[in-house]
Amino acid sequence: MVSWIIAKPFLAGALLCAACAAVLALWFLLRRPALTRTTKLVLLAAIGVLPLAAAATGNVAGFEATKARGFCGSCHVMTPYQHDSEDHRSITLAARHARNELFGDENCYACHADYGMFGTVVTKLGGLRHIYEYALHYRNMSLDEARATIHIRKPFQNATCMHCHSTAGPSWNAVKDHASLLDRVRAGTVSCASAGCHGPAHPFSKPEAAR
Amino acid sequence: MIKFRLSAMTALRISAVLTLVGLAFMAWSMLQPTPMPVMLAMSVGQGFGCTAFALYLYVVVRDIRRARREQVPGARDPS
Repeated sequence: MVSWIIAKPFLAGALLCAACAAVLALWFLLRRPALTRTTKLVLLAAIGVLPLAAAATGNVAGFEATKARGFCGSCHVMTPYQHDSEDHRSITLAARHARNELFGDENCYACHADYGMFGTVVTKLGGLRHIYEYALHYRNMSLDEARATIHIRKPFQNATCMHCHSTAGPSWNAVKDHASLLDRVRAGTVSCASAGCHGPAHPFSKPEAAR
Repeated sequence: MIKFRLSAMTALRISAVLTLVGLAFMAWSMLQPTPMPVMLAMSVGQGFGCTAFALYLYVVVRDIRRARREQVPGARDPS
């Protein structure tokens, strides 16, 4: 229990605040106390302070939860991608990054997030679009159909790879292909995930021409 | 024009119920963090919560204004 609270402090705080607020609100509804100043202060806690605290910490916990691979895989069309990431024998880029402890359970988010000052907000807005598309178009689609139909919205940016692989390190530049393609990789005219380089990130990735 | 005036107790009871509904959405999203609960908590749930708090503030402000009116001698009785 203590280790769970330490591991998820925002979630624990949000649940605690929500539980306290619910107890106070139920007390007011069931006991029907007179509207004295004390009652109003209790209601300020039950309706204002505690729910606001629960919402604030709950939103942080919610944002953290949306980074998890399980969250992405909870839409059925994404389960093959999730299973590939979790397959210890898979050698795809996604699976290899999932085995890296720096990415771990958040490997979908780490590679598909936009970075920069408003990266998180832009990523979350993109996530809303995914939910809209899923609810309206892909909800009842079979997996085979989804694999053939669903594609990444815009070409995968090298900048995302370069968030970790800066292209400035000596070990990176020691690879001859890296050194010879340095400018093109930085300019994004050659994709890190192109055939002949590191290949597609997922076993179901589609070539550019097929989209 | 029909004027609908909510008693303080009724407004606060509605507010408490809305709070409980909003909290239920929030707890659901935290215990089952899948897209639909998270989306509902961050939109509908927070809508319920904000409405509940607005209702509470409405009651408090109305009470304060009434108390001030009663303190001023010769103030017009709204009833």
